[in-house]
Amino acid sequence: MRMGAGGHYAYRTNPTPLAGWCLFALFALVAGGAWAEEPNERVTVADPYLELHTGPGRGYPIFDIAQRGESVEILRRHTDWFKVRTARRKEGWVSRAQMEATLTEAGEKKSFRDVLFEDYLARRMEFGFSFGRLRHDPLLSAYAGYRLHPNFVGELTIAQSTGDFSTTSLYYVSLVSQPFPDSRWSPFFSLGAGRFTNAPKATLVTPSGSPAETHGGLANAAIGLRYYVSRQFFLRVEARRHVALINYNSADHYNELSAGAAFFF
Amino acid sequence: MANTTILGMLAAASAIVPAVAAAQSPQPGPEPVIPAQVDRRDVRVPKIKANDVEIGAFAGLLSVQSFGTKPSAGLRLGYHVTEDYFIEGTYGRSKVSDQAYRRLGIPIFSSEEIPLTYYNLSIGVNLFPGEVFVGKDFAMTSAVYLVGGVGNVKFNNEGHTAFNFGIGIRVLPKDWLSVRFEFRDHMFSSDLLGKNELTHNFEVTLGLAAYF
Repeated sequence: MRMGAGGHYAYRTNPTPLAGWCLFALFALVAGGAWAEEPNERVTVADPYLELHTGPGRGYPIFDIAQRGESVEILRRHTDWFKVRTARRKEGWVSRAQMEATLTEAGEKKSFRDVLFEDYLARRMEFGFSFGRLRHDPLLSAYAGYRLHPNFVGELTIAQSTGDFSTTSLYYVSLVSQPFPDSRWSPFFSLGAGRFTNAPKATLVTPSGSPAETHGGLANAAIGLRYYVSRQFFLRVEARRHVALINYNSADHYNELSAGAAFFF
Repeated sequence: MANTTILGMLAAASAIVPAVAAAQSPQPGPEPVIPAQVDRRDVRVPKIKANDVEIGAFAGLLSVQSFGTKPSAGLRLGYHVTEDYFIEGTYGRSKVSDQAYRRLGIPIFSSEEIPLTYYNLSIGVNLFPGEVFVGKDFAMTSAVYLVGGVGNVKFNNEGHTAFNFGIGIRVLPKDWLSVRFEFRDHMFSSDLLGKNELTHNFEVTLGLAAYF
């Protein structure tokens, strides 16, 4: 609240980056509001009835139903749950399994299930993180991926390893090949290139004249395995070999072993 | 100019060729008894607002083992994968103080209070869904969750790989708004006091977040 008010004031006197961000936030809110005014989707209940839960989860109690043939309005989705409003103006959450059997208003032949399935197939972005070891030090990595082709994913990874003597940061892009993208256990191969930075711990006594930080190029290759837990969520393990190019005549090798989780969105 | 002439000739040729072909066909096929009148069904893919992303801020107290308890604050970005699981990134700031050691004449840091920053990536599990009733007419959905992950805690120019584990309760006054009360232990090894040992650093926070 205070930030918004301050930004507004700053805009009137002299434009600052803060004012810019506040304007952007305001614009986003207005745009969001305009988008929200679109009419909600309506579907016709095809199951004997839809069960309305008080919250988006199977544990929340059922408090009302919508009968077969009734038209319901879909207000929003949270994970695999849909908030609907019935003809009697009751609002509640319905599971995906029940929604799948309803019919869309646009085409009676096309069930909601097809629509949802198409939505899943269209998801191409993925995001994940993992934890492992780089040589002997712990390594934490996060990555964002984009599916370029059924068999190929382009990935951008940021990783940091904080050891007893130094902290190493890695940034690299990689191309991942999945020979069997449809299988539940899906192996992959990856080739990457990027940069690394290594900074020794401040508390260590370093010999005078030695550089505070080491920078260099990085190339790596990996093999790994993905296990799809659900339609959106998967686990992955990988073994990666990094080659750090410190200068023209010295390179160093590091092995990484890590495991993590990722999801599509 | 030459190009347009060639294009014109090609267009003319393409118009003549089917006409010649039609003239050459010996007999026209049988006429359909019932002419098909198929209207293309206009299937519109429904657009449904999803709110699986949770963006929020929090404030609380962080107690760093041997270095005092100070206010902390930070930002969270989460994604709800299923009704049971969510993934979350957190960035937080606080301070550490060596006041106790200074009093004994053995300062550890360059000044009495120095900043601390941390980040972590965690997985959360929603355990007990329920409702919180306020008065007679108002109920809010709630859930108790467990959260755990890995990250980094940095102070005194030194990073530490930190594991965190916590428990919290999330209450939703609106479908797009959540209030969270959380208790978390940030565990990392530190050799600042001469010996490398695992430290437990507890943080209690109150957070506010919106779903997008």
